[in-house]
Amino acid sequence: MADKSKVGMVFPPYIFEVEKGKIAEFAMAVSQKESKSQVKQIYADSGAAKAAGYKDIVPPSTFQTCFLLWGGGGLMPMLQEVGINLVRLLHGEEEYEYLLPIHPGDVMTGVIKVVEMFDKEKKGKPGKFMEFTVLEAEIRNQRGELAMRARTTLVER
Amino acid sequence: MTKALTYESIHVGDAMPAFTSDPITRTHLVRYAGASGDFNPLHHDETFVKMFGMPRVISHGMFVMGIVGQAVTDWVDDKNLRKFGVRFSGMTEPMDLDDPNSRDRATIVVTGNVVEKFEADGEKRMRCEIQAADKLGGVKLTGSFIAALS
Repeated sequence: MADKSKVGMVFPPYIFEVEKGKIAEFAMAVSQKESKSQVKQIYADSGAAKAAGYKDIVPPSTFQTCFLLWGGGGLMPMLQEVGINLVRLLHGEEEYEYLLPIHPGDVMTGVIKVVEMFDKEKKGKPGKFMEFTVLEAEIRNQRGELAMRARTTLVER
Repeated sequence: MTKALTYESIHVGDAMPAFTSDPITRTHLVRYAGASGDFNPLHHDETFVKMFGMPRVISHGMFVMGIVGQAVTDWVDDKNLRKFGVRFSGMTEPMDLDDPNSRDRATIVVTGNVVEKFEADGEKRMRCEIQAADKLGGVKLTGSFIAALS
């Protein structure tokens, strides 16, 4: 059961260096392609990205997932610290706000905060509750500029 | 032919171009696990999920969101995407290669509609509601995105 005294808790920052190989690999995964020549070229080729009006290669819209999973110690130790039961865990919602472009060579620092914890009664099951934990991440680049916000809602059923 | 994406040419109610994924296979899940760093065995190890009475592994929710992200940025330029959020509502099982009938449950169809045009932070924007469902109609997620328009 999630420990509600953890609302407001801030996790230690995680750091992720954006690499073009990782961007291409991620783009291949989400576009179900076998090679990086088959993905949208702004994700894989600097020249193509520049021709399309970008400063350099950019990552796909959900690449933020990698920042946390490869940059931090992973999600599991964090969830354990908040007292979330992994066996009952569902990913409820995910939301990204894009504030500044991200390119290879950028070094991103993410800080995750527990912003809300609440219970909701299950439909048609009086007295049975689902427990919600909402995390918000602020992700800054090496210049300290806020580049992204991410909001994750986790559910224990 | 897709309509040019300008504030004038886009109207509330317009549909975004429909997008259909390839049927998700276990190989896709393994590739996504490696790319994203999400190695929860729920998504690749059948001996693990069988302990919980599940017949087969399930897709990462974030993989399905990634597919939806591809659908969205096939339509709007990546640099114009301002916000993108989803609520997960159903699990996705990969197709079984020895069962062609399982293709439809593993094929994701992304649809969406423009629901609002507005101005914010000095730019013209639209908000679209989106949905991802398999070819049998099982809804995987619903959500919305906001994109800047010229």
